[in-house]
Amino acid sequence: MWLVSSSWVWLMCAKLLVARLATRKSLLPQRLKLQSYDLSNSVFSPDGRNFQVEYAVKAVENGGTAIGIRCKDGVVLALEKLVSSKLLKPGANKRIATVDRHVGAVTSGLVPDGRHFVSRAREESSSWRNMYKSPIPVSTLANRMGAYVQAYTMYNSVRPFGITAIVGGWDSEAEHEVDGQVGVGPSTGAGGKVEGEKHGGPFLYMIEPSGSYWGYYGAATGKGRQAAKSELEKLELSGNKLSLEEGVKAAAKIIYIAHEDSKDKEFELEMTWVSSLSGPTKGRHEEVPKALREEAERIAKKSLDEGDEDDAKMEE
Amino acid sequence: MFRNNYDNDAITFSPQGRIFQVEYAQEAVKQGSVVVGVVSKTHAVLAALKRNAEELSSYQKKVIPIDSHFGIALAGLASDARVLSNFMKQQALASRLTYARAIPLSEIVSRIGDKAQVNTQIYSKRPYGVGLLIAGVDSRGPHLYEFQPSGVTQEMVACGIGARSQMARTYLERNLEVFADASREELIKHALRALKESMSQDKELTVDNTSVGIAGVGEDFVLYEGQDIAEWLDASFDSRGQTEGEGMDVDS
Amino acid sequence: MNHFPETWGRPRDDVYGPYNHGYLQAPAPNQHTQSPIVTGTSVVAIKFKDGVVIATDNLASYGSLARFTDVKRLRKFNERTVIGFGGDISDMQHLDRLLNSLSIKENYQHDATDEEDTDGFSADNVHTYLSKVMYARRTKFDPLWNHMLVAGLDSDDEPFLASVDLLGTTFSSPSLATGYGAHLAQPIMRKVVPDEDAVDQVTEEQAVKVIKECMKVLFYRDARSLDNYSIAVIKKEGVNLKLDEKLENQSWQFAERIRGYGTQVN
Repeated sequence: MWLVSSSWVWLMCAKLLVARLATRKSLLPQRLKLQSYDLSNSVFSPDGRNFQVEYAVKAVENGGTAIGIRCKDGVVLALEKLVSSKLLKPGANKRIATVDRHVGAVTSGLVPDGRHFVSRAREESSSWRNMYKSPIPVSTLANRMGAYVQAYTMYNSVRPFGITAIVGGWDSEAEHEVDGQVGVGPSTGAGGKVEGEKHGGPFLYMIEPSGSYWGYYGAATGKGRQAAKSELEKLELSGNKLSLEEGVKAAAKIIYIAHEDSKDKEFELEMTWVSSLSGPTKGRHEEVPKALREEAERIAKKSLDEGDEDDAKMEE
Repeated sequence: MFRNNYDNDAITFSPQGRIFQVEYAQEAVKQGSVVVGVVSKTHAVLAALKRNAEELSSYQKKVIPIDSHFGIALAGLASDARVLSNFMKQQALASRLTYARAIPLSEIVSRIGDKAQVNTQIYSKRPYGVGLLIAGVDSRGPHLYEFQPSGVTQEMVACGIGARSQMARTYLERNLEVFADASREELIKHALRALKESMSQDKELTVDNTSVGIAGVGEDFVLYEGQDIAEWLDASFDSRGQTEGEGMDVDS
Repeated sequence: MNHFPETWGRPRDDVYGPYNHGYLQAPAPNQHTQSPIVTGTSVVAIKFKDGVVIATDNLASYGSLARFTDVKRLRKFNERTVIGFGGDISDMQHLDRLLNSLSIKENYQHDATDEEDTDGFSADNVHTYLSKVMYARRTKFDPLWNHMLVAGLDSDDEPFLASVDLLGTTFSSPSLATGYGAHLAQPIMRKVVPDEDAVDQVTEEQAVKVIKECMKVLFYRDARSLDNYSIAVIKKEGVNLKLDEKLENQSWQFAERIRGYGTQVN
């Protein structure tokens, strides 16, 4: 009897042990998944995802909202620059960068990664000029930067960029001055251009941490991108009707609307633009003049206040 | 040893998009003794609290002049700061050599920012474990910048980094409005007072444990230590003269 | 195979005869540029109390052939610097690309719309940069065959004028001229500004007048010059650059009296 019962106890213990092992075993795949598939860059999970790139996107989603608008005669870039400390010098710490004379870039996400992106873009533009004696087309720059960002998803010795970048610029519609201002060049114009064909114009691209990029009429990224996107859609940009100055005012308004969700934090509006050769910036990427920016901000604030009043009336 | 799976190196994002190793490097800055910087329209001032390992040892370097027009103050790993300061010295000299120009502060600051960013994106490297305040004067006037291990660089009106520096920053925020028009002497006073805020109650700023660096429009960056700062210390803390006086009374 | 590494992999001496080691050696030392090809002639410049005036003609010569007559040899770097190029034209274009690249880099940080653009390069910075480029190249025994004048304002907004040549030699003076101008124009300009103190007495009109006079004398006597020229005035207000000027009031009467060559041998 004692023998039987003791063997029964033994059996129970063994069963318990097996059960424990089984539960641990069932935990195993999950732990493995966490440990190996998302801890290293350049590794696919069984369902074909690259987790590190997805996490990099998360870093972008917390950054201040950045937008770009492609107008008929130029491009506007705007950024909601959150003020993290009172001690910061107001108006300093510009975040929209000039890449080449005719191109600007704004990034959302990890600020130092954005600076890395910009300095690479500057190198690309500069080496293009060295090689071809002409400014880099915006589409080419976007392509090269897409390739560069993609490379950082390929190796386990690096991490992806924690940014999404919006690159905007104006490709000159005129003959390029070969070697700057030296010599007037041939009086008949360069060959290879089709008569009556449109050359140059405004271009806008957005490059993601994965390295993929698209051309946009209106692009938005960062925390308030959803609100910004729906506002951009209202502008009907594909019709190519919005003027650059209207674009500046729209951009300011969109940034103010996108900021509504994080109203408790202070922010500075930073805006740059690049116009056609006959426009206000003469094909260069520059900061929007202070007077125009303040005017745009005033209108934006006013329309927001009116919106609030309308809401109040509706409630009544 | 590690808090989670995502903090083993500087090239792994957590599911929230954070990079823990970089955040830990920021903690190293908080281990360093406090440094403070303030700018006015005419001057930029750095003030630092120096630590000594023991009574008889010398005090660590906290303020390093880089070029005649600017210098840095550091909090965190001093050896990392030396790497960065040597780099800055080279760059500043190169600018003088090729362009006969004092390097603009924005330029030199963005160069160390870029250098630090690279260390957060490559497996074989680690982030710098040091925070810097860069203060000086260029052709656009006086400037103060903060540098963080993440590669973030920001131009500030006033700033404090290092151990217990939140107290210094609170002081600076309270007095923010007066800095722009402050005189050279007033600015030094504010810097020293902000520094004092970050110290524990039983500690005092002395000629031995305090460094002050000043640059101004038409005035080179100079590091002041020892007896050179005695007058500023006395002027900044009124109570000090009195307590000494009382002590004398008791003796007699 | 033997134990001399330099003979490994070479045809065997006992089969093919002794190896000719001179085969791959250069017959002579390396040679770089020995002379310019397409050239621009003189650059002249003079300081006046508020700034500098600088001029060049618009000619690029191929030997004695007047090959290109619309070449701009004055280059505006920014609102306070103009560079005048003499010497090889393609080297000038190379330098122009370097300056272009420098100017783009300079404008990353400093916005053109900034009201107080005091941070950008001054003429003295550009001059130092060019002198380092020229010296570096000549140290490689491969000089850029140019002689340049840098005219403009320094960081204190004072008039600045200095030269750099293909050796990296630098020189500064209230008036400067390169090439033939150093012989023909310099004496004329020195009458107006004999020394630095005299600069304060000279007005813009006087300076422009003497420069135009110099361009005329140079056209009279320099066979590689042209009566089409560029002239720039650099002041605090900015750069006034004219690229297609024509010499006025020419008089060739003096030419009749010239004897000694051509058809009038005696």
